Amino acid sequence: MQAYSLDQPERLRAHLALEHRLYEVRADGQGGHHWQVVSAQDFGTFEPSAEPPPFSAKSFFFAERELLFRFDGGQFYSALPQVVPQVLFGLHACDLQAVAYQDRFFAADPHYQARRRATLLVGVDCLHSCAGGFCSIVGSGPAVREQTADLILLPRQDAAADWLLLVASEAGHAALRGLRLPAAADDWQAERSANQARVAAEQGPQQAIVEGIESLNAGRIAADTWEALGLRCLGCSGCTTVCPTCSCYAPLDRLGAADSMQRERVWDSCLYQGFQQEASGHNPSATSGQRVQRFWSHKFGDGFKAQFEAYGCVGCGRCDRVCPGGIGVHGVMQRVAQA
Amino acid sequence: MIDLTPRKLLLLDHYADGEEARHFSLRIDKPLASDLAVIPGQFFMLAVPGFGEAPFTYLSLPDQQGRFNALVRRMGALTQALFEQPTGAVLGYRGPFGKGWPLFFCARQVLVVAGGCGLVPLAGVIDEASRHRLPVHLSVIYGARNSAAQVLGRERTRWRQTLRFIETCDEAKPLQRQGSPLDHFDELFADEPPEAVLCCGPEALMLATAEACLQRGLAADKIWLSLERRMHCADGLCGHCYLGTSYVCKDGPTYRYDRYLQLQAGGYRTFISQNQRLC
Repeated sequence: MQAYSLDQPERLRAHLALEHRLYEVRADGQGGHHWQVVSAQDFGTFEPSAEPPPFSAKSFFFAERELLFRFDGGQFYSALPQVVPQVLFGLHACDLQAVAYQDRFFAADPHYQARRRATLLVGVDCLHSCAGGFCSIVGSGPAVREQTADLILLPRQDAAADWLLLVASEAGHAALRGLRLPAAADDWQAERSANQARVAAEQGPQQAIVEGIESLNAGRIAADTWEALGLRCLGCSGCTTVCPTCSCYAPLDRLGAADSMQRERVWDSCLYQGFQQEASGHNPSATSGQRVQRFWSHKFGDGFKAQFEAYGCVGCGRCDRVCPGGIGVHGVMQRVAQA
Repeated sequence: MIDLTPRKLLLLDHYADGEEARHFSLRIDKPLASDLAVIPGQFFMLAVPGFGEAPFTYLSLPDQQGRFNALVRRMGALTQALFEQPTGAVLGYRGPFGKGWPLFFCARQVLVVAGGCGLVPLAGVIDEASRHRLPVHLSVIYGARNSAAQVLGRERTRWRQTLRFIETCDEAKPLQRQGSPLDHFDELFADEPPEAVLCCGPEALMLATAEACLQRGLAADKIWLSLERRMHCADGLCGHCYLGTSYVCKDGPTYRYDRYLQLQAGGYRTFISQNQRLC
């Protein structure tokens, strides 16, 4: 990768914002963090948060609710999204890994791909672990993987030193045109390795996760264990909403005037009781234990890993943060690891 | 790229065909080459605008004009809305989807086991065999709750003339065979035992059938099932029809029983490439 020295990440951000709609996660002053549009004239400090933002980049590509087609009573008309070139600025490695995972899953989905192809991804390496993350165990971070981003920002341990900027794709290279940057003089590979080692040490061995994955794939977990975990699932869809790789959706028909209608799709959750229920009432995943097992098998099953060359879990820890039943990833894997 | 937008489908005609079931004649507006290459056992997505979209099997395969038949039982909101549509109504169509039945056997003796509406996905195979287009000797056993619940009345009359077609009812009338198809397996496996079995019906019946076949010495890779699942996209994306690591809309609905067992049991482990050998 080509590497440049960057005195201020805000300079890069302003440059990219000239020709793209640029989004960055910013604090709302009330304790929340949101993806917000940042203009080229905005020189607010770029401060990558220590924790992953409450919401990943998922909804930028796989919209929470979107129109699929219209029907006027006689014909069907497809409705592809209108896209503008956009930049997601400051994505953590875990969330970029999730985008790469969904890129594969939605490879043939025209709605997803229309948005994705109009997007430039600017990642940022983590110098320290977030509180609940375990990217070093599932291989998604803390260093942004080259194949998952267009540009990678590398903050420094020495706060006085310039940032480093790595070019990870052709699109990333093209986006820098017009921005004069000196080549990096420092050994950025060594710095990234040191960051990696530091974060891995901070995250520790994560015994529950490692042994839980092994137990799950060995088929050692009894149905009773899943049912006991299922008792704590409220079917609230919190985990599937915040999970950056969850991708289930449901259709929603909306009737219009005369015989017209339109179909939207909305995020769905495999934890909902009726997710697989057929019109006859037959439900192949009728118990909450079966549904909880499905969710975690989808995240950590070797069969899925073989298909996607990565786990469905990127180690961001968001499910731990939102689950009211205490069966986020650590809650579940601790129990499962004992099997 | 996939297309999630339906194409126009016209409701041509219908007649009652079994309890709460109708035999529909439909026509795809401007059929594509892919519509003419449907394999029995594949399915299409039928949309009733404003009431959603659901998977149904082809009873007959689309002809050059896009005409084909489907059998639908009134079950939920979408089928209720379909039953209220007048002749000429514009519906939505996407398809064909999924894997159909295997049509090239080294097996000579093939047994079809159907239960209830499960006869419908098998109709294409039975038709092919009864027209002597398949190099097999096909027998059918069809189970239903009672005579009223039996579907495909006209087709059954035709099939009875050309192949061994056994009907059995849980609530049998005098002179009718009684019990589930499984109650007659000793007889069916007696003289010329089947070398392959195709089965469709309620999942419990299919699993019991498969186990009964295994007990009689038929290998799991000689048994095929067709699963029913809730489906919305039919492209393996919406997630609803999962079976382990597989999506029934793409990898199914037809599964070989050994593959089904692997998906059910170790569904989350790496699947070792399926033995494609059919003989």
